[in-house]
Order: sequence, then C-alpha cells, then structure tokens
Amino acid sequence: MRAEYINPFIEATVDVFKTMLGCEVERTGLAVNQTFCPQFDITGIIGLSGRAHGDVVISFERDVALKATEALVGGTCGEITEDVVDTVGELTNMIAGNAKTQLESLEMSLALPTVIVGHNHSIRFPSKVKPLSLPFQSKWGNFNIEVGLIESPVDAHIVVG
Amino acid sequence: MSIKALIADDSGVMRKIIVRAATAAGISEITEAVDGADAIAKFGQEHFDLVLTDWNMPNKSGLEVIQEIRDTGSTVPIIMVTTEGEKASVLQAIQAGVSDYLTKPFEADALLAKIEKLSLA
Repeated sequence: MRAEYINPFIEATVDVFKTMLGCEVERTGLAVNQTFCPQFDITGIIGLSGRAHGDVVISFERDVALKATEALVGGTCGEITEDVVDTVGELTNMIAGNAKTQLESLEMSLALPTVIVGHNHSIRFPSKVKPLSLPFQSKWGNFNIEVGLIESPVDAHIVVG
Repeated sequence: MSIKALIADDSGVMRKIIVRAATAAGISEITEAVDGADAIAKFGQEHFDLVLTDWNMPNKSGLEVIQEIRDTGSTVPIIMVTTEGEKASVLQAIQAGVSDYLTKPFEADALLAKIEKLSLA
C-alpha cells in the first residue's frame, strides 16, 4: 500500500476523536500487518471502492467503545449495547469518510459499515492486500486501525455516483 | 408555532445526536426514519417543516431522498449530515436541492446553528 494513503487516516482519527468525543488520541506505532489480524473486543469494518479499493478495520478495546458511546450519547454504559455497536459503526464511517475526502483524487465511495463483537476474533484481508496497522492509545484504552487499500485497474474503478 | 422535523439516519446513535440538537433548537415534534425508504414513506404521510438526512443509508441514499422530496414540488428545508465531504459530493447534493450541508465530524454547536437557521427561516 502506498505510504501517502495512510496519513489521511491518521489525521481523520485524531480529528474524529477530538471533535465528536472530546478525546485526544496518540498513534503509538506503524507496522505492515500480516493478512491474519487479531482484533480487540469490538471491530468496525468498512469497504472503500474507486480508483483504489480495500477495507478499513478499526478494532476497539471494550472500555474504549463503552466510553466513546457515553461521550457521544450521554449516560453511562456498562455493557456492549446496540448504542455501542452503532457508535463503533459510526466512528468507523466517520474516520474512513474523512480520510476519503482527503484522498479525493482516488474518487472512492464508502460502503455501509459492519460491526463484529467478540473477544479474539480475527479479520482476513485478501492475499494481495498488505494492510498497514496503526495502533492508537487514548485515556480510555487502546484501539487499532488497519488500512488495506490497493489501486484499482484503470478500466475497473467505480466513480462516486 | 410547533415545528415538525424528520430525521433520517441508519445509525441510532447519530439519530440521538441530531434529535438532541433539534430539541435544543426548540423543535418539539420529531419523527425518526431508519433509512432512506423509511424517510420517503414518512415524508409522504404528513407535513414536515425541516428534514435532516444522512447520505449513506440502506434502501435509499440521502441523495435519493432529497431528489424524491424535491420531485414532489416540496420546498421544505433539507440539511444533509454526512461524511461525504468531497467537492463533487457537495455539488451533487446542491444540484439535488439540499438547503444546507454539514460534514461529519462536527461540533454540536455547528449542527444546532444550522437547525436553528433553517427552522426559523
């Protein structure tokens, strides 16, 4: 994956957490991942397609998902409810969407997010994709973003409609 | 005078955020739609003074919602609240007839200001 594709995702993550949740986050590393990616407790996945295509996978420790939900909708949240699932889906959507806007020349469109709940689940990227992994830390705990994008064949890209 | 708003978003959490802003703006009658098709069905059943819609939703997109509402001849103010921030997307929404546009992520005050501006228009 081209390195210049990754900065918009880092900036989008910092911006979404600060603006929507009032939470400062810090990236703690960067690694080329294997296709077999172990995840935290709850994970949002969203597809992107256009002049580049692939997936963004954002996996949260349970406490991060719960506290993010409290920050977004108020109240207290002690378990993974429908609101927590919605929050993870929406954060995934916002981060990918914000990065997509910064990568405007790729003319990508967003799919609808999917959320997976469960400890020690894993996500497999297609074999051609070498996702970059971005671990983040926040006052609520850790989360991880994996971005796997590859450029589409010239005659096969989908233009946003 | 009572103002009625229709809020369309497939995310329950986003609907809660928008309902909170609409309530803070003094809108007391709020109808929620869980996707684009639901929004069009509910829009056909009663009069609304303001519509807020997401773009990316199952069944019908927010862009289709705007187009179908405008096809009825309605001039109801419509605010799109979306992650779609590219110039081409904003232009598409304007051409479809959107009244205002707010890109996620947003400050709560920004949403409140847009709702107040259009609900008082």
